[in-house]
Amino acid sequence: MIHVTDLRFGILDIPSLILPAGHIVVIGPNGSGKTTFLRLLAGMEEPVQGSILLEGKAPGETRIGWVHEFPGQNSLFIRVGEELASPLRFHHLPCEGISRKVKEIAEQVGISHLLDRDLATLSGGEQVLTALATAMVSMPRTLILDEWDSHVDALTAGMLQEQLSRIGVPFVVQCTQNIDLAAAADTVVFLSGGRVKASGPPGEVFSGCEDSCWYPPAWRCREWNLPLIR
Amino acid sequence: MELAFDQVAIRRGSSDIRASGHFGPGVHLVSGRVGAGKSTLAAMAAGLLIPTEGRIRREGVITSMLSFQFPEWQLTGNTLREEIRSYGGEEDDVLARAGLVGRGDDDPLSLSRGELKKLNLACIFGKTWDLLVLDEPFGALDCIRKREVCRWIEARRSSIVILCTHEQHILPRIDALWEFQDHQLISRGTIPGAFADWNLAPTALKALISRGIIPANISERDLREAACRIQD
Repeated sequence: MIHVTDLRFGILDIPSLILPAGHIVVIGPNGSGKTTFLRLLAGMEEPVQGSILLEGKAPGETRIGWVHEFPGQNSLFIRVGEELASPLRFHHLPCEGISRKVKEIAEQVGISHLLDRDLATLSGGEQVLTALATAMVSMPRTLILDEWDSHVDALTAGMLQEQLSRIGVPFVVQCTQNIDLAAAADTVVFLSGGRVKASGPPGEVFSGCEDSCWYPPAWRCREWNLPLIR
Repeated sequence: MELAFDQVAIRRGSSDIRASGHFGPGVHLVSGRVGAGKSTLAAMAAGLLIPTEGRIRREGVITSMLSFQFPEWQLTGNTLREEIRSYGGEEDDVLARAGLVGRGDDDPLSLSRGELKKLNLACIFGKTWDLLVLDEPFGALDCIRKREVCRWIEARRSSIVILCTHEQHILPRIDALWEFQDHQLISRGTIPGAFADWNLAPTALKALISRGIIPANISERDLREAACRIQD
């Protein structure tokens, strides 16, 4: 469980929020505090007041993977393999263990064929997958993705989400403006003006949104009796 | 008024991006996978990139503006008011259009990415341009703001508007459709005839077409109206 208690930070004001393990999607209007919330979860910011506990531990005390909105602008190394290895090398782990882990994660995320490539030559989708693999390599308990889908086309975004659904990290938290993606999550957190407007399973959170643009387009298609074609 | 690409080619990374075609007044949607060449086309249309082959002609196009995919690249002001002034815009008017009343003295970089995008678009739509190039204007915007920007775009159909986007659900009514295929820009023609060949068509549009229903256009309203024609 993720426990948020009496949290105040910037625009955020969350008296109590409990999130079960699984795929958690944070949505809300621009400026509602989504990225701030993710940064607090990741331990990149410390709350002014209140606490966030991930499985009973403060964010700084647990392993967290972070995937940035612009992976291409945030890589440190030239080759994909070097980038993947970097979090483990920074921890001074033995070399054999590192190369084994890099191979294992690359295979899991489906980028084994890219390990010798220069990052700059990758497509947008491949860059995002490399960032995902780099975040995964230190075996995080929580993986946080800040609008990782916002600069890729729908086909690429679908492929990325499919990879994400296979990785087996206990907590995957992402924010997005793709409401269909939220509709497929285990838990949705709907932020508005720094407060939690609704949280829970998609069916609960989106009930009552039918007349607004927050209602998942895929559900509307279903109600129109339209087959979904990818 | 016309923007014409005559056998244009430009090298990007390991591939050549090619474009030929005429853009007249109206809203032109440019569709394509990530990395296909949309941003390169946008930069060439705005005159920021010179093609290595062919030429780009601007007939009767006196004023032009490009909205970059990432608005932080386009910032010059230290406050929202300074930023708006740099476009020659009316400060309070633009702040209201951007939904940022009361934030005029804040640093633009203190805005969330969606708010910054809306500020950029509000500045740009605060004036009229003969040619308006919008590179992913919907990225990071919430659905309420996307709908609003659709209305702004639809109001500019007397200009040449080139709209490059991945957006699938909340789109303005458009006049012509273009699509990148293997880094080559292909004209799919005018609406609704262009739908049949649109590879990356939004899922709802594809679903409607698969039922033999052709919407009049691609806005939410058009798709809803088309869905009402489903009998069963």
